[in-house]
Formats: sequence, structure tokens, C-alpha cells
Amino acid sequence: MTAVALDGIVLGLQFGILGVGLTLVYGLGGIVNLAHGQMAVLAAIVTARLIDSGSPAVVAAFVGVVAVSVLGVVLDLTLMRPVYRQQGEHRVLLGLLLMLGVGFVIDGLLEWRYPIEALSLRFQGDPIPVLGVAMRRGSLVASAISVAAGGVLVMLLRWTTFGRATRSVIQDETGARLCGINPAAVRTVVFGVSGALAGLVAITVAMTRPVVSTDGVNLTTFGLIVAVVGGLGSVPGAFLAGIILGVVNTISAFYIGSYVSTILLLLAAATTLLLRPRGLLGIG
Amino acid sequence: MTDELLIVDSLSAGYLGEDVVHDVSLTVAAGEVVAVIGSNGSGKSTMLQSVCGLLAPSGGSVRFDGVELAGVKAHRIARSGLVYVPAERHLFPHMSVRENLFLGAYPTRPSADQLGMVYRVFPRLEERTGQLAGTLSGGEQQMLAVGRALMAGPRLLILDEPSTGLSPILASEAYAALVELRRDGLTVLVAEQQVPLALDLADRGYVLDRGRIELTGTSSQLAADEGVQRAYLGV
Ligand SMILES: Nc1ncnc2c1ncn2[C@@H]1O[C@H](COP(=O)(O)OP(=O)(O)OP(=O)(O)O)[C@@H](O)[C@H]1O
Ligand SMILES: [Mg+2]
Repeated sequence: MTAVALDGIVLGLQFGILGVGLTLVYGLGGIVNLAHGQMAVLAAIVTARLIDSGSPAVVAAFVGVVAVSVLGVVLDLTLMRPVYRQQGEHRVLLGLLLMLGVGFVIDGLLEWRYPIEALSLRFQGDPIPVLGVAMRRGSLVASAISVAAGGVLVMLLRWTTFGRATRSVIQDETGARLCGINPAAVRTVVFGVSGALAGLVAITVAMTRPVVSTDGVNLTTFGLIVAVVGGLGSVPGAFLAGIILGVVNTISAFYIGSYVSTILLLLAAATTLLLRPRGLLGIG
Repeated sequence: MTDELLIVDSLSAGYLGEDVVHDVSLTVAAGEVVAVIGSNGSGKSTMLQSVCGLLAPSGGSVRFDGVELAGVKAHRIARSGLVYVPAERHLFPHMSVRENLFLGAYPTRPSADQLGMVYRVFPRLEERTGQLAGTLSGGEQQMLAVGRALMAGPRLLILDEPSTGLSPILASEAYAALVELRRDGLTVLVAEQQVPLALDLADRGYVLDRGRIELTGTSSQLAADEGVQRAYLGV
């Protein structure tokens, strides 16, 4: 039981980072990034190709993460421009459709060029006991990276001028502009950060199981559930929801089966939303 | 005159191609407090929003310290020292009073002096420094909106109906704080439909009616005008 719960937390931390990337971009500009999981997988495949061609894993992973971060910035500056010109529902719908398209394109490219590519990052050495459970080193490193990434992100958002500006745009864009903040610039930077977080998720997942080129849709779906349950726009909410849903998912997969566990996950999400329509820590 | 800080010339503005502000011209000199008075729907907010860049004017020009503002983005205008406090306040509801004030000074990190200056004008804000802006009372929110604008060190402060949503007592208190700022030499353009409050504060004023400037003069001239008395002062 403890072992299953710990595995759930490992997965939950990854879910959390996945949800945070989605929730930030949505909170800032109303974009539901339906290509988020595909961007993550893209980072994994870039990393795998680089390792295949002889790069050290750390360098390859870094390049993979930076590559999708740049992709995020480029998407924001090009495809999302007409989206930001729309308001309200129109903006959300147009953004959703365009990012769905981006997801299809990435999926298609990966399936065409690298159908059997996969990223698997293994760590040498014996398992390490945690609370009496032998944990694989990959799981521990993955969790440490997730916690560090989450911690750094929360600190940046909380205590730096740019982080405060980011939260201000989420809470009241007009107010932010009147304070001299350029929402477009904030969105561009944060889209890049979101891309990097997606890449980081793929890298950490690859430490616990292989990431294959068709994993994108699944990752997007999980990220979306986490972001919605946490309350779209809420970073702490996404972390909390990620951990809870990771544990729910792992426990039900272990005791019932992985097919049923996804249904249970959706059920848990729906129940949360019925009880708290704005999500666990939803704002506005 | 050469010391005009703000020159609005033949400004027109509106929504969906239909103007609600027509051919408005006004000036504000450095150190002056100028009021724009007018009833509901006369176009005060529309005019101010097209000055501060939230709304694109359909015609005319706005010059701030000699620089044309037409087509300049709102955040750039704010950084150039023309700071607007909207009637709706647009505070950051999930941030503390202190964080809201910090953001007023964006992109710099404010000094203790800057914060202290705002707390001197609004001691109430210092008492509530850790409270979330969304949970403040209406009067406190108004103080915070003005305080946040002061953190930018504005050369021109533009206020849209600072009395909005306040009881008569709180509205007078809000104006008392503005009198204090005026004494410190702050340049202010204020739109208001509570005409007595605005004319007590201002040196000069303009009367806006259905989107046009109907009348202008010193505050005492306007207060003595029969039309103004009948329409706005309930005399
Ligand atoms: N977003 C908008 N879209 C369309 N019309 C608008 C919009 N905002 C204001 N108007 C119209 O423009 C006219 C002027 O409104 P404005 O808000 O500028 O007046 P105001 O003098 O500020 O009034 P109040 O004292 O009630 O705030 C009104 O007829 C109003 O209905
Ligand atoms: Mg108004």
C-alpha cells in the first residue's frame, strides 16, 4: 500500500508540472493548449535522437527542453497572435482549435518520421529505501526534478517582479496594463516557460517508463484534467490536483486495472467540479 | 502656453464605429487640478480611456509632455508617467495590499520610501497591508487604487469618478486625501458627476454634455453658472 501510494506521488508530481504548464498559459491568455502533451513528447523524441547520435543524456535532455520552450515562444508570436486579438469565448475557441491543429501536426510528424522512437532514461544502482519501500533511482530523481521545478516556479511567481506581473495579468489584465505591464510580453515568456515545463515532464516520465512518440494525446488529456480540477489559472491548485489525481490513478490502476483507472480519474475530476465548480483552488 | 502637460485636441472616440465623444479639447498644466464634470453617460470615461490608451480614439490628438499618444499602448503611456485610475479600480483581488502597491511601481522594485509615502497619505492601507485587495471595503479599495497609481510616481494622475460606490462621507474623505496630494504639487485630471466635490478640489473645470464640452472656466465660475447649478448642484 505504501509502495503504491509513493508511486502515486511520483506520478502525481509529474501530473502537477503538466497541469501547471497548461494552467499558466490558460490563465494568462485564455489559450487551452491542446498540444501540450505533444510538445512534451517532442522534447522526448529530440532528446532520444540526440542520445542515439552520441550526445550525453544531460545535454540531450537540456536541448530537448529548450527546443520545445522555443517552440512555445514561436507559437505565441505567430499562430496565437490572431487569437489574442479576439475576446472572451471567441478567443478560447479559436485558441483551442489552433492548438488542437498543432497537436495533430506534431503527432503526424512524429508518427511519420519516428514511429518507433522512444525515450528511456535509466539510472544505474540499487533501489533506495524510502519509508521502508525500495524506490527505483529513476523515480526518485524524477520526483526531485519535479519538486525542484515546481518550487522554483512558485518562488519566481511569488517573489520576483516578473512573477508578480504574471499573476497580475492573470487576475486583471486591464489593471496590469495600467501599472505599465505589457501583457503580450508576459504571455510570450510564459508560453516559453510552459513549453519548458512540458519538456521537463517528458524527461521525468522517461525516468520511470519509456516515452513513446504516440504518448502526446494521453499527456494532454491528463494535463487538462489536472488543470481543470486544480482550477484553471491556479498554479498551487494544479500542483495539488496533480498529486491527488496521481495517487488516485496509481491506486486504482494497481487494485482494479489501468483501463478502469482512467475512468475513475475522470469521475474524481467530475466530482470535484460538481462540488467546486471553479476547481480546488480556482480563482476569478 | 508652454507649460501645458496634457493637450487634448479635437478628440473623438466611441464604440463600434459610433462616436460618443465628439471634438473634445482640453488642457492640463503642470501643478494644476482640472475637473471634467458631466452626468451619467456623458462620455467622461470614454474620453479618459482614450487619453490613457485603453481605447483607440477615432480622431484628434492627445499630447503628453509634448509626445503624441495616439497609437501608443496603454502600458507605455502608464510608464511615461500618465497614470489612470479607472472607476472600476481594476485591483488585483487575490494579492495583498502591499503586492498591489508593489505592482504600481512596476518595473522597478519600490523603495521603503515610496511605500512610506503612500502609507502617509492612506494610513488605513498600512493597517491592512497583508489583506487581500478583493476583501477590502469599497473605500479602502479606492484608497488602494489611488495608492497604487501614486507608487508609479505619476507626472499626471487621471482619476475616473473616485467617489464611485462610496457613501457621501467616504467620498468626502477620498477627496480630502486628494486635496492633500494637490498640496504636494500633484497634477490631476478628475472626472466626476458629484459636481460639488470635484469643484471644491479643482482649479478649473470642463462641463461635458452628450460627448461635447459645453462650458469651461475656473471652479468658482462654474459653481456660479446658472446652468451648472440647475443641472448638477441641485440649486
Ligand atoms: N463598452 C461600451 N460599448 C458600447 N457603448 C459604450 C461602452 N461604454 C460606454 N458606452 C456608451 O458610451 C456613452 C458614454 O459612456 P461613458 O461611460 O463614457 O459615460 P460616463 O460619462 O463615464 O458615465 P458615468 O458617469 O455613468 O460613468 C454611453 O452612452 C454609454 O452607453
Ligand atoms: Mg464613467
